[in-house]
Amino acid sequence: MDFKTKDGILEIEPQRNGSQFSYEGLILDLSGGLWLEIDGRKHKAHATKVGDVWWVHILGHTMCFELIEPGATGGMEEGAMTSPMPGKILEVLVKVGQQVKTGQALMIMEAMKMEHKIVANQDGIIQEIHYEQGAQVDQGAQLLSIE
Amino acid sequence: MLKRVLVANRGEIACRILHACREANIEGVAIFAANDAGTLFTELADISIQLAGEGLAETYLNQQQIIEIAQENGCDSIHPGFGFLSERADFAQAVIDSGLIWIGPSPGAITQMGDKMTARITMRAAGVPVIPGEEVDGGLEQVLAVAPSVGYPLLLKATSGGGGKGMRAVHDPADLESEAKAAMREALNAFGDDRIYVERLLVGSRHIEIQILADQHGRTIHLGERECSIQRRHQKVFEESPSVALDPELREQMGEAACEAARAVSFEGAGTVEFLLTPKGEFFFLEMNTRIQVEHPVTEMVTGVDLVKEQLRIAAGQPMSCPSIISMRGHAIEVRLYAEDPSNNFLPAIGKLQVFKPPTGPGVRLDTGVRQGDEVTPNYDPMLAKLIVWAPSREEALARMARALDKFVVLGCITNLRFLRELCEHKDVVEGWTTTDMIDRLWPDGWSPDQNEIIRKAGLLIASSCEATAFGKTVSSIYSEHVSPFATLNRRFP
Repeated sequence: MDFKTKDGILEIEPQRNGSQFSYEGLILDLSGGLWLEIDGRKHKAHATKVGDVWWVHILGHTMCFELIEPGATGGMEEGAMTSPMPGKILEVLVKVGQQVKTGQALMIMEAMKMEHKIVANQDGIIQEIHYEQGAQVDQGAQLLSIE
Repeated sequence: MLKRVLVANRGEIACRILHACREANIEGVAIFAANDAGTLFTELADISIQLAGEGLAETYLNQQQIIEIAQENGCDSIHPGFGFLSERADFAQAVIDSGLIWIGPSPGAITQMGDKMTARITMRAAGVPVIPGEEVDGGLEQVLAVAPSVGYPLLLKATSGGGGKGMRAVHDPADLESEAKAAMREALNAFGDDRIYVERLLVGSRHIEIQILADQHGRTIHLGERECSIQRRHQKVFEESPSVALDPELREQMGEAACEAARAVSFEGAGTVEFLLTPKGEFFFLEMNTRIQVEHPVTEMVTGVDLVKEQLRIAAGQPMSCPSIISMRGHAIEVRLYAEDPSNNFLPAIGKLQVFKPPTGPGVRLDTGVRQGDEVTPNYDPMLAKLIVWAPSREEALARMARALDKFVVLGCITNLRFLRELCEHKDVVEGWTTTDMIDRLWPDGWSPDQNEIIRKAGLLIASSCEATAFGKTVSSIYSEHVSPFATLNRRFP
């Protein structure tokens, strides 16, 4: 099973034994809730799935694991810059055809009463700009593309 | 006695006020924008009225509509909460003019404290220490003339400024002229007014504020301090009372200065006087908040006084119910739960609170505006709830907060829970070295969670095992599809 996380793509094949799963010395029991055993001590865990993402809470830590379905193309299109949240485009700082560097500010958007910079996720040339200044955008909307 | 209060706010603070109304046997009326329909505060009210219109200006900031709703629904008073219209003197005046009671200080007091320069001048006249500095209206020459007497490092601030525009820090006298020119130019462009004032820059200071209550019977008292030094982007995240930096003598001095500040503007109701406390132990007036504050629960926990209920009493013309000498007991800490990603520059987050399980136990209080199943939207402030703990000592309070945060489960929306949890164990926090610049100082390149390999592996194991067994997809009680085994019994109670 493959999961996309903040630390990149992680692969795991846990060993199953009835309602128990184990992985590198850790044992998880699913027979009555979620109980994780580390070095002989049991800790309560919580998990829920939202879309493709498993949200996990264990020992005061909250983590997200996005399931990569077998055969999927690998999530987002390369070079696609999407809106992190619904909001309004305040300013477009680049033009089509412009050379940009990773981390360079491309757009300024306003959401939740604050201004946010949309920065380039790769070096390249701006291919398309999908929204103009003043436009309202939804979460996940593709704002521009870089190649 | 008030009979029916309109709460001109939303979310967590609306819930807090509605709880107080219920306990004081006063009816509470909630107003809500269409995108707040069905949220917690609308359910806690005796009557909930939907506001017409969209966007803040047409809804929660729409003075006329709010006053009309109050009148049409037989309200005798309006509580503004914090934010929104709470420090708008024109709204306070309009409420009073419409024959309703304004639960807050007079419009005059709001105005005097709302304007930075007026407040500074009023406070200085009342003998309250203000940050050493000079108002300058004679242009560049005068800035250069007063700077040496103010002392370095200093801060140039636009008189009609805000939001950091026209604000410049000067550490070296050699930079003064060029920085002053830049500040004046910025101020002129941003505010159409190039007046600036020169103030000492107080590095490494603490943010200490004093809670005030004043009634219509001539009593003005203070309820001790709150230390709110831990801030990110000038917003507080961690507040406590008492402060480790105050001894009884300094507390009395600052408390008395705060009462003087309140008396100077004939203040009535609940308010907070904010001070900067320098490492040398000098304190200076920053500003006065003429409303209930987000962090008021820490004061309530150590003093036992219900500040919102006192506001209701005071507005009705009754004397406040607490004694003049307030004793502080134990230690209280509040943290603010924000829907935001502390590992990504505290960027706000949205999502559905699929799981929202707050901690419980002795000395744990949750003031929340949300519950499990609610959607966190980008429409409003990302503060979801406040977690407050009380314990006999600071050390025990920190341990209790750490325990409570570990047990707080929020899934479906990113929050700052882990950041708050790590603060509780940070050496500087444990030792009480909290200053307003500490988050930038401790994490200059941004914060990331202290997650070890075992935690990451555990997370991966949990996610994959749940996926393999479809765990959690069919959450239901084992009894939900069965008839209760007790339903067929008929017990007689003697």
